[in-house]
Amino acid sequence: MSEEKFQVIIIGAGVAGSAAAYTLAKAGREVLVVDKGRAPGAKNMTGGRLYTYALKELMPEEWAEAPLEREVTREIMMMMTPADSVAVDSTFGSVNQQSYTVLRARLDAWLAEKAEEAGAMMVPGSTVDGLIIRDGKVAGIKTGDEELEADLVISAEGANATVAERAGLIRPVELKDVAIGVKHVIKLSEEIINERFNTVSGKGAAVMCVGECSKGVSGGAFLYTNKDSISLGLVVDSQSWKNSRLPLADIAEELKRHPALARYIEGGDLVEYSAHLIPEGGFKSLPQLYADGFLLAGDAAGFVVNRGFTVRGMDYAMLSGIAAAETANEAIEAGVYSRSILKSYESRLQQRVLKDLALFRNSHDYITRTRHVYKTYPRLAADLMRNIYNVDGSPAKLVSGLVKKTISGRVPYFDVLKDMFKGGRSL
Amino acid sequence: MKYLSMDDRLAKNRFDSDDHNSHIIVDKTACNTCKHRGCTYCCPAERYKWDTMSDKLIFDHVGCLECGNCRLICERLKQGVEGYAWNYPVQGRGIIFREG
Ligand SMILES: Cc1cc2nc3c(=O)[nH]c(=O)nc-3n(C[C@H](O)[C@H](O)[C@H](O)COP(=O)(O)OP(=O)(O)OC[C@H]3O[C@@H](n4cnc5c(N)ncnc54)[C@H](O)[C@@H]3O)c2cc1C
Ligand code: SF4
Ligand code: SF4
Repeated sequence: MSEEKFQVIIIGAGVAGSAAAYTLAKAGREVLVVDKGRAPGAKNMTGGRLYTYALKELMPEEWAEAPLEREVTREIMMMMTPADSVAVDSTFGSVNQQSYTVLRARLDAWLAEKAEEAGAMMVPGSTVDGLIIRDGKVAGIKTGDEELEADLVISAEGANATVAERAGLIRPVELKDVAIGVKHVIKLSEEIINERFNTVSGKGAAVMCVGECSKGVSGGAFLYTNKDSISLGLVVDSQSWKNSRLPLADIAEELKRHPALARYIEGGDLVEYSAHLIPEGGFKSLPQLYADGFLLAGDAAGFVVNRGFTVRGMDYAMLSGIAAAETANEAIEAGVYSRSILKSYESRLQQRVLKDLALFRNSHDYITRTRHVYKTYPRLAADLMRNIYNVDGSPAKLVSGLVKKTISGRVPYFDVLKDMFKGGRSL
Repeated sequence: MKYLSMDDRLAKNRFDSDDHNSHIIVDKTACNTCKHRGCTYCCPAERYKWDTMSDKLIFDHVGCLECGNCRLICERLKQGVEGYAWNYPVQGRGIIFREG
């Protein structure tokens, strides 16, 4: 092994990159991770909650020390109109340590530290400008004036995969395959959060909202309780938003004032305002996952499933990081870095990540095309609830009558049935 | 919570901006022929504004959250046509999320 050459160079110290680096370093490989952020995590943002099974798989011993915010034990699904809201509030006493809220500046810094302890070399503050490609094989990276060589490069560069794209290794990401997320992190004391969400320290809630929050555009809002802050944000389909011509920054700010959400953040102080893309094209827009000397993991590969009520990306990023590392190990052992050996990456992903993406292959289309979900149904739900709870002395009606009264003239029955049927088959 | 202007929101963030070299380049004169001006309402940090006085685009890269939305909203940035380029800031510059 020559001194300047690494066995593996990883672009990006997000969850995918650090998971790959940790796994490779544990296997004794010479691995370098470069990230454009001043420190790992400095450029990253999520909703978000981490489904912990993937973290446990990555580090069965150490995972419990990770900087996780609160375990999600309460799930709220909310439909909102400009003034009203209807929510389904579920508390799961039986679900144990399944998901935790996280903040990426902390989580990513910790993961990177673990990878470093395991022997990986971390170089933050380096933006990769291009790849070294020799005889059609990826042979390293270019950053600033430097060129660094490796047997294998893993791109874990996230949703905006400019390096892989510009090298012609993946086809360019399309506007229709991404969503844009905007988030406010709002500081509140741990006690106030416990009180407001009727919870105890260490446990918390996740709220997913549809309707007024996105002004009827395909998307929704989320709220997660952290230890002593709240993450409140909006995710909308980028193409639909462009078509809507609505001012995104204003609508993101209005979110804080909707009565259904404002009560949770009252008295809090904004500590950070952030934005990030989410790859949502799913199975149908998956890029080529490997090339000679090259593997793609996490968001860069488009491994995200958004079903409206759950968003998963970080767990897939970790799983694919592990799978990329295992594939790299196999290649290093064989001393062969060509496609023919790297294609085993796909079979490693098949049972986990790709299977899920295939199952939910229609969820993005459903979410972006089922317009009633964002305007009509929240209205109907709020009106139905108002009718149900309304007692004003006028002749009473059975619930079935109220349902009919609420729906009538608003939306064809057939559309409702069709949306339910398709939703059941897509989500 | 009270309504915060974009300046107030961005003031909460930490940046290490390169004030002189923009990581995103747009040709403000050529932008006059753009039919949708999507950047002006799709940027979550309101970095693009249409100035009605001069009837020209104004762009300020300082305060950019590096989300990449404009790169896909704007066909010219996406294709990198002459006068337009989208890159990440170099060597650790730009946004520094402390929460994320
Ligand atoms: C608003 C929002 C809500 C979400 N909610 C959830 C949720 O609740 N649960 C969930 O599981 N997922 C959620 N996701 C998705 C999840 O955040 C992503 O799937 C996950 O962060 C992907 O991790 P990654 O490591 O692949 O990419 P990233 O975390 O984006 O990491 C990529 C890294 O590469 C670096 N990089 C990029 N380009 C270069 C370059 N040229 N040179 C050097 N370094 C570079 C970046 O600095 C970054 O550190 C959400 C996403 C958003 C935006
Ligand atoms: S979308 Fe692109 S071309 Fe159109 S005004 Fe904005 S920067 Fe100019
Ligand atoms: S990258 Fe995002 S924040 Fe920066 S200018 Fe483009 S849209 Fe605005």
